[in-house]
Amino acid sequence: MKNNRMKDKERSRWKEFRDRLTPDPMFHETEVQTNRLGALMLLCSGVILVVILILTATGVFPLSGNLMYSTTIQAIVEILILLLICRITKNDAWWLKPLLLIGLVIVYARLDSMLTHKAAILMVIPVVFSSRYFSRRLTVFTSVLSTVVFAISAYWGATHGLINLNIVTFPEGTQMIATGGFLGDAIINAGASDRMLIFNTMLYDFLPRWMMFSIISIISCNIARRGRDMVVSQHEKDVKSARIESELNLASGIQADMLPNIFPAFPDRTEFDIYAAMDPAKEVGGDFYDFFLIDDDHLCMVMADVSGKGVPAALFMMASKIILANNAMMGKSPAEILTDTNAAICSNNREEMFVTVWLGILEISTGKLIAANAGHEYPVLKDPDGSFELVKDKHGFVIGGMDGVRYKEYELTMKPGSKLFLYTDGVPEATNARNEQFGAERMVDALNLDGDASPDQILKNVRRTVDDFVKDAEQFDDLTMLCLEYKK
Amino acid sequence: MTIQKTKNGSELIIAPEGRLDTMTAPELEAELKASLDGVTALTIDLTELEYLSSAGLRVLLSAQKTMNNQGEMKVTGVNETIMEIFEVTGFSDILTIE
Repeated sequence: MKNNRMKDKERSRWKEFRDRLTPDPMFHETEVQTNRLGALMLLCSGVILVVILILTATGVFPLSGNLMYSTTIQAIVEILILLLICRITKNDAWWLKPLLLIGLVIVYARLDSMLTHKAAILMVIPVVFSSRYFSRRLTVFTSVLSTVVFAISAYWGATHGLINLNIVTFPEGTQMIATGGFLGDAIINAGASDRMLIFNTMLYDFLPRWMMFSIISIISCNIARRGRDMVVSQHEKDVKSARIESELNLASGIQADMLPNIFPAFPDRTEFDIYAAMDPAKEVGGDFYDFFLIDDDHLCMVMADVSGKGVPAALFMMASKIILANNAMMGKSPAEILTDTNAAICSNNREEMFVTVWLGILEISTGKLIAANAGHEYPVLKDPDGSFELVKDKHGFVIGGMDGVRYKEYELTMKPGSKLFLYTDGVPEATNARNEQFGAERMVDALNLDGDASPDQILKNVRRTVDDFVKDAEQFDDLTMLCLEYKK
Repeated sequence: MTIQKTKNGSELIIAPEGRLDTMTAPELEAELKASLDGVTALTIDLTELEYLSSAGLRVLLSAQKTMNNQGEMKVTGVNETIMEIFEVTGFSDILTIE
């Protein structure tokens, strides 16, 4: 029983240790990158060691033989093992970072014990590297570990590594005769005491080095913490922008569903055929079309364009569409609908948004079309035996621009076979790479490519002609079109 | 877009150059907001304007409304294309175009 509880406790401690070392998912990528960097450092160190080995073997480096070989070879073997582990785990294991850090400290300490004061900088490498993990705790750990291990290597190196001649002291009155070769060898041969060498190394070599090291440790801790903050704040931004993007997608879906977009829209009405399309330049746009039956004999059509783009335009578009439709369903005339909509919007429009609207009501039984225009583009009409032509109708001011504006209406007659095309400025103002605009003329030509085609086909013709014209240039404005064919 | 600004006492001439659209309109709006204090005669010179979108119209309307309360505003240097936009949108009835 007791034994089991002990085991459980041990297991939970192990789990805690493991959890502490397992990074938050947002740090996973940076940790794998850092492990890869560690592996690269090890590889470079290995190559340098091999070079040292060759230089020593060929006698270029005057290091005392056997010890140098065994130390270097041990370090190379350690590096190879660590590299193999990195390779097997693909730099991705929760225990890899402490292993790499400990490994690096040991490898560099080994070198340090041979090269001593010649390679004083070796001591700071693991700590500087650890800051790349963006964990202050890990950097502190590396700093403490480095202090202990490098102290041992300095102790050992004082008697086995390169001698720092500047710190060797001899009793007063000692005379030394050198007969050639390196001064260090002469000093060792002269019988400098180990105690003196160790004491002087620790005091004059290691201590100043450790002081510099502690400054670099503090800097590394700071880098680790700042790096962590930056990763966290970047992650927060990413989450936020992903949320905004998904909300925008949802918004554009809602916006698209606000418009009648199932065709044929009135499958049981043979007297007319209507087709419309909206293609926003951003996720959500400010253009809209609308059509609906007010009663059995009256079809209301709306084409509108809100000033500006994006979410503000889309919100304003929703409000405008609903107010227009509500006014229309009350049986008002087009001019009354626009006048009342303008009054409703102007009553509370601090952002000074406005919308251009063309609104027409077709009397299906007679083909009489009554329309009013609040600052919108000219409609295009085709008589049964003629071609599409702009109707230069009378314009009122945009809706939402100024309070108290009154709109006037006018009458068009649709004969059986007549077609009406409505659009927003995105069509004539589509711009190509040479900064030329598509223009109303090209648009009318595109309509007349096959004036007898179905509304659906006519919209496709215009769209294709616009695409051919614009080519690679980015779609800048919304493209919204509607075509009605009066049949009876 | 660049904005040329000439101030002479309570008279201000603003001349936007280039494209006045969704991207650049906020710039002109901020410029106007910052400099309309105490101005009684505002001239907006569109001679060097290449393109005017509805977002740009909104800025002009907003300036017109501000100037209605404190003086006069006129629009000059309107080329044919931009005049057509003013006519289509009904702005020609609201603005003083010279």
